[in-house]
Amino acid sequence: MEEPEYTVASGSETTEEKPSPLPNIAVGIDIGTSQSSVAVWKGSEVELLKNQKNRKLMKSYVSFRDESPSGGVTNHLSNEHEMLSGDTIFNIKRLIGRVDTDPVVRASKNLPFLVQTLDIGIRPYVAALVNNVWRFTSPEEALAIFLVELRLMTEARLKRPIRNVVLTVPVSFSRFQLTRLERACAMAGLHILRLMPEPTAVAMLYGQQQLKASQESMGGSEKIALIFNMGAGYCDVAVTATDGGVSQIKALAGSTIGGEDLLQNMMCHLLPNIFKTHGVKEIESMALLRVATQDAIHRLSSEISVQVDVDLGDGLKVYKVVDRAEFEEVNKEVFEKCERLIIQCLHDAKVKAEDVNDVIIVGGCSYIPKVKNLVTNICKVSEVYKDINPLEGAVSGAAMEGAVASGITDPFGNLDLLMIQATPLAIGIRADGSGFVPVIPKNTRLPARKDLCFTTIHDNQSEALIVVYEGEGKQAEENHLLGYFKLMGIPPAPKGVPEINVCMDVDTANVLTVLAGVVMPGSRTPAVPFMQVRMPMIDDAQGWCAEALNRTYGATMDLVTLKKA
Amino acid sequence: MNYCNRITIQPTVAPNSLTYPRIRPNFVKLQIQNYGSSSLLKIKASINNDNNNFVSSKSELTLYEVLGISESVSIVELKRAYKQKARKCHPDLSPPDQVKEYTKRFIMVREAYEMLSDPVTRAIYDRDLAKGISFAFSTSRRYCHRSHYDQVSEEKKKWKRQWESQLAELEKKSDGKKDKGNMAWAARVRQRSNH
Repeated sequence: MEEPEYTVASGSETTEEKPSPLPNIAVGIDIGTSQSSVAVWKGSEVELLKNQKNRKLMKSYVSFRDESPSGGVTNHLSNEHEMLSGDTIFNIKRLIGRVDTDPVVRASKNLPFLVQTLDIGIRPYVAALVNNVWRFTSPEEALAIFLVELRLMTEARLKRPIRNVVLTVPVSFSRFQLTRLERACAMAGLHILRLMPEPTAVAMLYGQQQLKASQESMGGSEKIALIFNMGAGYCDVAVTATDGGVSQIKALAGSTIGGEDLLQNMMCHLLPNIFKTHGVKEIESMALLRVATQDAIHRLSSEISVQVDVDLGDGLKVYKVVDRAEFEEVNKEVFEKCERLIIQCLHDAKVKAEDVNDVIIVGGCSYIPKVKNLVTNICKVSEVYKDINPLEGAVSGAAMEGAVASGITDPFGNLDLLMIQATPLAIGIRADGSGFVPVIPKNTRLPARKDLCFTTIHDNQSEALIVVYEGEGKQAEENHLLGYFKLMGIPPAPKGVPEINVCMDVDTANVLTVLAGVVMPGSRTPAVPFMQVRMPMIDDAQGWCAEALNRTYGATMDLVTLKKA
Repeated sequence: MNYCNRITIQPTVAPNSLTYPRIRPNFVKLQIQNYGSSSLLKIKASINNDNNNFVSSKSELTLYEVLGISESVSIVELKRAYKQKARKCHPDLSPPDQVKEYTKRFIMVREAYEMLSDPVTRAIYDRDLAKGISFAFSTSRRYCHRSHYDQVSEEKKKWKRQWESQLAELEKKSDGKKDKGNMAWAARVRQRSNH
């Protein structure tokens, strides 16, 4: 563990006694699309930290209204509309690490702030409207500002500098997106000790609860839980098996669907196509409609039908009675997607619904009756697990992992935990034409090291291009490009003879290393020094790279999988 | 039993797999070297020297031995043994200076578990052991490459082809044993799905 490289500049009193029994424990941070929280292991249990407004859950946004930007940790909104006047950037987690051709980015264009896309596969810009000027920034910068606030708040509460963090992330995040998160953290002076998919963090907490329960009842056997997490931006599913404090993720599944989609669909249903030009008047109407719709959705969790009555100005009024069935019909596709994720996750885990001991539903959308119904229906249970707070589970698990990974032990055995994580996406290379051949399949337990053999497609082919992708698509282009390198000096031989070995290694900190080398038949040593590359190695504009490679080299340096006799 | 202290897996998979001849032995052997406390140094030396000849095995471990269990254990016991081993050698729980060694040990334990926890591969492995073929452990070969569900059916075929001759031989030898074996397998399958 590295020493902090800085001293705390402000916000924290350094005069009081240092909490010496707590050396640099990594804190758990949950950056949500809508709300964020910080938690830390405090001696014998997890504590969520509160900001100056005494809140554990802080809205994830950055306002550019004042001289210096301020985020949802310190800022206090007098009402919801303030966040929607165009001068505040939110939903950052939905934008970070995406390119401007991404459908998720394009769907963000009817938010009150500006998401500018040029549709050429580069990073989108976001802009806040301040004094009638659009001030541009990037999603990473905005997130970094927010993270600095979180860090300062945490340092003030814990009275020590913070550097190491365990960050929860959506299952569907690609490694490229994770690098953007890392960059934002680095800008904020934070070092990511571990990344945890959100349901994995919840599984950690569940594992600890089961450990405690089995200690009390003297015994216990393996328990299988399905975790369904749906927040504002993302939906994740995990199947975990836990026994005696050791938890293993059996499968993960995730997608970019969440409360934001429910809200957008509903707004569109109430008033189609109102938002086109980002005029000041329009932003105001939009804000009014958004708040009214959000409120209606919240009320529909407890009421069968609600009334939406809002005056958007300029004679534009929305008056409508909406019932639950209508809400569910409007969002049919979103809910169906949720169902598919659960079914897929159970299938990947090779677990039958009947074998699931506990069903855990977390995230902001867990309050929606339809969400609860669809999960319990698929898992064939009548009750969901009640001992995990839907909004605090992920950050609590992250704090536990932070303590375990920082080498903290608990005299009462409350930290005798081990979480064996799994890869949410397959990692492989382009081969067999433009196909995607996974080397490390999805849901491989970490740490992992696997290799596959490939061979040349041309006689006397002296070079091979190793193009590394991550994802679930059958074709290479359907996946996220992570990087590429050229293997050179393949000795002259007929096609199909040289053995090109591609090995991938993912350690517990989720660092991916790709190795490649060539062996000639009959030889026991590599023909040329093998190559080792840490991935991802590319910056923005990933789409262009793949295209350019293809244009420049075509199939001259292609590979096929080596068929074993 | 703590094998971890004695096992030296071939240090890095890539260089080591690069050293395989074109016509490979059926299995890559698990290397155990009784170097005692100096084994860590040996590993480090080997990592730095890719072309090292670390094929000088002195003994071998079966997958059961890797997990420290007998060949007759039930799936429940197998899971328990795996979790105990995981606690001993998961890199998250390692001393900071031994993360690499722990990682290798853990990968080995995990893949042994993944192989044995699948009734299909375990049955094949058991028959193989019974025949006295030294079934090898590999950190990377296709046999362990099963976590992707889609691959399973394809791999089963591969397995089938590979072992057909040996199975036929085995069945010829012991018709009586065959039934028993099948029952045990079925029992294992039931146990697994009931679990």
